[in-house]
Amino acid sequence: MNLDTVSGPAETISTNKLKFGMLLLKLRTFIALFLVIAYFSIMAPNFLSMANMVILVKHVSIYAFLAIGMTFVIITGGIDLSVGSIVGLAGMVAGGLLYNGLHIPFLGVTVYFHLPMVILITLAVGVLCGAFSGLLITRFNVAPFIATLGMLYIARGTALLLSDGKTFPNLVGKEELGNTGFPWLGSGTILGIPVSICILIILGIAAAYIAGKTPLGRHIYSVGGNERAALLSGVRVNRVKMFVYMFSGFCSAIAGLIIASQLVASHPATGEMFELTAIAAAVLGGTSLAGGRGTIGGTIIGAFVIGVLGDGMVMMGVSAFWQMVIKGIVIVAAVVVDQFQRNLQSRAVLQES
Amino acid sequence: MKKLLAVCTMLCCFLVSSVAYAGDLIVIITPSHDNPFFKSEAVGAEAKAKELGYETLSLVHDDDANKQNELFDTAIARGAKAIILDNAGADASIAPIQRAKEAGIPSFLIDREINKNGIAVAQIVSNNYQGAKLGGEEFVKLMGEKGNYVELVGKESDTNAGIRSQGYHDVIDQYPDLKMVARQSANWSQTEAYEKMESIIQANPDIKGVICGNDTMAMGAMAALKAAGKGDVIVVGFDGSNDVRDSILAGDIKATVLQPAYRIAQMAVEQADTFLKKGSTGLPEKQLMDCVLINSKNAKRLETFALK
Repeated sequence: MNLDTVSGPAETISTNKLKFGMLLLKLRTFIALFLVIAYFSIMAPNFLSMANMVILVKHVSIYAFLAIGMTFVIITGGIDLSVGSIVGLAGMVAGGLLYNGLHIPFLGVTVYFHLPMVILITLAVGVLCGAFSGLLITRFNVAPFIATLGMLYIARGTALLLSDGKTFPNLVGKEELGNTGFPWLGSGTILGIPVSICILIILGIAAAYIAGKTPLGRHIYSVGGNERAALLSGVRVNRVKMFVYMFSGFCSAIAGLIIASQLVASHPATGEMFELTAIAAAVLGGTSLAGGRGTIGGTIIGAFVIGVLGDGMVMMGVSAFWQMVIKGIVIVAAVVVDQFQRNLQSRAVLQES
Repeated sequence: MKKLLAVCTMLCCFLVSSVAYAGDLIVIITPSHDNPFFKSEAVGAEAKAKELGYETLSLVHDDDANKQNELFDTAIARGAKAIILDNAGADASIAPIQRAKEAGIPSFLIDREINKNGIAVAQIVSNNYQGAKLGGEEFVKLMGEKGNYVELVGKESDTNAGIRSQGYHDVIDQYPDLKMVARQSANWSQTEAYEKMESIIQANPDIKGVICGNDTMAMGAMAALKAAGKGDVIVVGFDGSNDVRDSILAGDIKATVLQPAYRIAQMAVEQADTFLKKGSTGLPEKQLMDCVLINSKNAKRLETFALK
């Protein structure tokens, strides 16, 4: 994985040059982010103001949640198309529990949960959706693309069914039911930092720790690198796969909660196409769709590139149609550069040996 | 990466050849411009704002409440003086409008209302009920007060779909010889209207008229009727799009009802201007604009949701 450690003693000037080029390539997403921010600071008024930066990170955090979950899935060589729908479903579950409560027909009662309970149930729904995809993939050998495509429709349909296509409005809760406080997730702050950004920091560090420092993280990479070899060397491949899909569902549920909280309303169509943004962020951050390669840090930077690009172009008033074209070009270009880097890497390995 | 950046930078420079910083900013937020109705709103508002000396920023929310929420953040960050909004959801739009109000930015709503009063300065919508009655009356006249007809309604969850249907029926149901043989929702969609109409024709070969909740559905229904060799069936739509105007001029669709989108957007900007200068619009928050009937007599004068 890390080629710097295998450098031999016979280094020549040309390999040094190559190494510098490689370093630039490795840091490419970071450099791109820097340049994009610099560009918009000049072109868009108020772009670099503190208030706008906070707003920007808040916007990015939604995609970053999804992209973090997606990165693990992609590293194992899978894909999760259901994240956007789970965002919508999670919002509807939370909204429904707050607005209508849970009606239990055979007892004839309606239960209203306290806010922490609502949040836990919502997160559990997200994890369950992931577990369902995972089960299909591991036990029934359904290709991840198909299993999660199915989940995409199931979750979206369920979200629409929960309210019959309507929006759950005004999710502030009622004092007498003791379920107030939901809007805090979207608009509150901890030590002056918006809650969603705090969650992003915690989730980002936790995910990076799992990926880099734990056996589970090593197993995730090994499953994506060579599933058969991982299986033969004693990695419980199915468990690892179950974990990544459940984690992705969990991350999606967080995003759903935060969006519903920001709007103080939940709409069943929320999160359409988010899965593609999440995949784009992961790929921009250097995650390989073939599996086995990718980092959480890279993915978060990828999410920032997409977010900065989107917000910056909106602030400059670029037409929405052009925004799509530009985003598409950036994603394709990132993968082209990625391939270029891989070729360079294999050349470097050849030269050193 | 360098290449990529060069391409990006060039594209961006090319697109935004001139970003004016002077002048107060009015942000215009509408659904996607791929629907000419919303494009017309944006163009109308922009033209008026420029005329009154404002800088404008036209954004689209694609009917995505979360995206609309982000656009409001942008408007606040850019220090907008006013927001003109065709909103992305009667409930989901309340929070961002409230936030803008707290940041000292007044919102002026067009085309669709929200479920809360007192947070937007104005909500200017077209009078869908009055318009539907106009359409219903014209439909009755065209039908000669008798015959079988079909109704295609919009998305059932959308308030306007219900109001328009109500308006049609309050007129048509007074004529007992007019018999509704089918009523289906085609979700405002042209493709869906085409498919539903095809099936309806199979089940009811003897229909004489089709009344639709909007123009795109009328276009879909007309296409299906023509394909089935029933081009003489009377079709009536609602909105006043250029497509239907051309169809009326060609003698296919018989009538539609114009929602003055262009004018409404301009009114919103005018009121924003008054509000910014005097601190009040002097008008009630909720304002209804009357719709206009479009048929072969005045269709020629219709251009992008405005009568010339």
